[in-house]
Amino acid sequence: MSMGVIEEVFSIDLPVGEQFRIQRCRYIPKSGETLKRISIVSGIHGDELEGQYVCFLLGEWLRANSEKIKATIDIYPAINSLGIDSITRSVPFYDVDLNRIFPGSKNDFLPAQIADGVVNAMKGSEIAIDIHSSNIFLREIPQVRIAKSQAKTLVPLANKLNIDFVWIHDAVTVLESTFAHAMNTLGTKTLVVEMGVGMRLGKAYGHQLLDGILNLMAEEGFLDIAPLDVRMPIQSEIGEVAYLNASCPGLFVPAIEHCQMIQKGDIVGQIVDPLSGVTLDEVIAPIGGILFTLRAYPIVYEGSLVGRIFGENG
Amino acid sequence: MKRIEILNFKSPNRAPLIVEGFLFGEESKGPSLAIVGAMSGDHINQLYVASHLVEYLRQKEEEGKISGKILVIPAVNTYALNMGQTFWPLDKTDINMMFPGYAQGETTQRIAAKLFESLQGYDYGVILEGRRDQGMCLPYVKIIKSDYEDMESARDLGMRFIHYRPYSPIETVMLQYNWQLWGTKALSVVFGKNGVIDHNASSEVQGALVRLMSKRGILDLPVFDGFQSNIIQPENITILKASYAGIFDSLLPCGSAIEKGDILGRITDALSGKKLEKIIAPVGGVLTCQYSYPLIFQNSIAFRIASVE
Repeated sequence: MSMGVIEEVFSIDLPVGEQFRIQRCRYIPKSGETLKRISIVSGIHGDELEGQYVCFLLGEWLRANSEKIKATIDIYPAINSLGIDSITRSVPFYDVDLNRIFPGSKNDFLPAQIADGVVNAMKGSEIAIDIHSSNIFLREIPQVRIAKSQAKTLVPLANKLNIDFVWIHDAVTVLESTFAHAMNTLGTKTLVVEMGVGMRLGKAYGHQLLDGILNLMAEEGFLDIAPLDVRMPIQSEIGEVAYLNASCPGLFVPAIEHCQMIQKGDIVGQIVDPLSGVTLDEVIAPIGGILFTLRAYPIVYEGSLVGRIFGENG
Repeated sequence: MKRIEILNFKSPNRAPLIVEGFLFGEESKGPSLAIVGAMSGDHINQLYVASHLVEYLRQKEEEGKISGKILVIPAVNTYALNMGQTFWPLDKTDINMMFPGYAQGETTQRIAAKLFESLQGYDYGVILEGRRDQGMCLPYVKIIKSDYEDMESARDLGMRFIHYRPYSPIETVMLQYNWQLWGTKALSVVFGKNGVIDHNASSEVQGALVRLMSKRGILDLPVFDGFQSNIIQPENITILKASYAGIFDSLLPCGSAIEKGDILGRITDALSGKKLEKIIAPVGGVLTCQYSYPLIFQNSIAFRIASVE
């Protein structure tokens, strides 16, 4: 068994006797470090922990199978390390979403310097996989989200990841501030995975994505193993996504489980009023399909997203 | 003065979020101006200036001095103001990152949509903004290059500095950019330090707003001229960073004229008290902005100096 090498790729002094640091664990082939490199990334948001488990599973696998490693594999479990250790989604103190500040800058405030440090550490990687949970409000099936402009390059790669859904969305200017956009611009093919729910971990999803990462690494020449038998994700291009937003404030009580096939007109859940005991509204599926997003946090305001359904055309 | 409800948004258990506007004058009489105050819960100085302005305009209206239409919305995110938070208390989203809003979307998108709807059709728009970092600054006009910006109204404020720069991607979902795109001559006035009231900055900003209203024929009052504003582009700003983390002492207030070589601040080790750094001005100019929290992070921006080329 061989261990990866733990390295500190970014460190900055905090005011009182501590450093903000980003660490990675690097695995290299027996023959030595290669220019060919993949980066597995999680914890850009401090309340998203599913990726931490995937990083553990991957590290465990690589330690046990070090002879299979053909190229450099870097694992970064905790980018917003301060946030992860304190249940804080944004960069603590600054209250800034790290994934809206890329590519960052050395001449700017701490969050921008962290972003710059992340980009510099990963620059030159052939592929990066950025693992997000959803936030604490929504539960998601394992999916990869890709901007339309990147679809040609990234969809074939996403199809290797053993996920359930590939969601191709229109380019939005604000998303140019994300890690994925910054890395794709620099030539690193970067996939954004969303799965599970914030502040929790789901073991099954972790194992599902581990298989996908191993398969992708086998097919792309990072591991000397046979490709795994992975599932083919549903492609968003062949259908439509319906958004279910709460029509009124209250307590959302789901009527069905996440990740179910549902029919148009099915009841997804109720919004109830704990004070009066009255059911305020029923959330009805506007289309049939798969309920790939379901609200996990029960308090809703008008407009709060309670679910998303993907329905195939025709 | 008419006190109007801009939006009324129910909460599961709290009393509803009610955003109020104060309307003065009439559109038919002259140009129109809308002013938006605290969109974040820590923009207390912005709330203070806006509410003072409401009282001032109420008096001026009684005196018959209002010759256009003015809307002032002192606070948008009252929920956050009432609990010492910065953003929307449930999901921590920033209302000023949700424009132009979406009436069928998430909660803060709906709030932004409703607010944005109420801001349509005004000739001029002013957003009172706090800082997005732990700094404090001289009051300045922030205007982004959207191709729809109006420098004339920015100059009419008569503030000392106008920061004129290209917009970043995140600014495409902020109010200034969208308001400009929808045809209002919108700009931001950035001032103070979040969470506190700076009386000098407040009266300077209020004076600037009154000047704009007077120069644009919205308020029938003579006013003194302000500054002949200096246009500051990013290349006119020198950034001084802290080489060390620790306890930060600033030795000069914002607005100080400084010479090359002046000592601006000191950093000491937070535990041992050892002197770690003197921050020295590498150029002369005006100290426009500084870090304003006693504990500083390594590489944080400690000071910004604006210089004439």
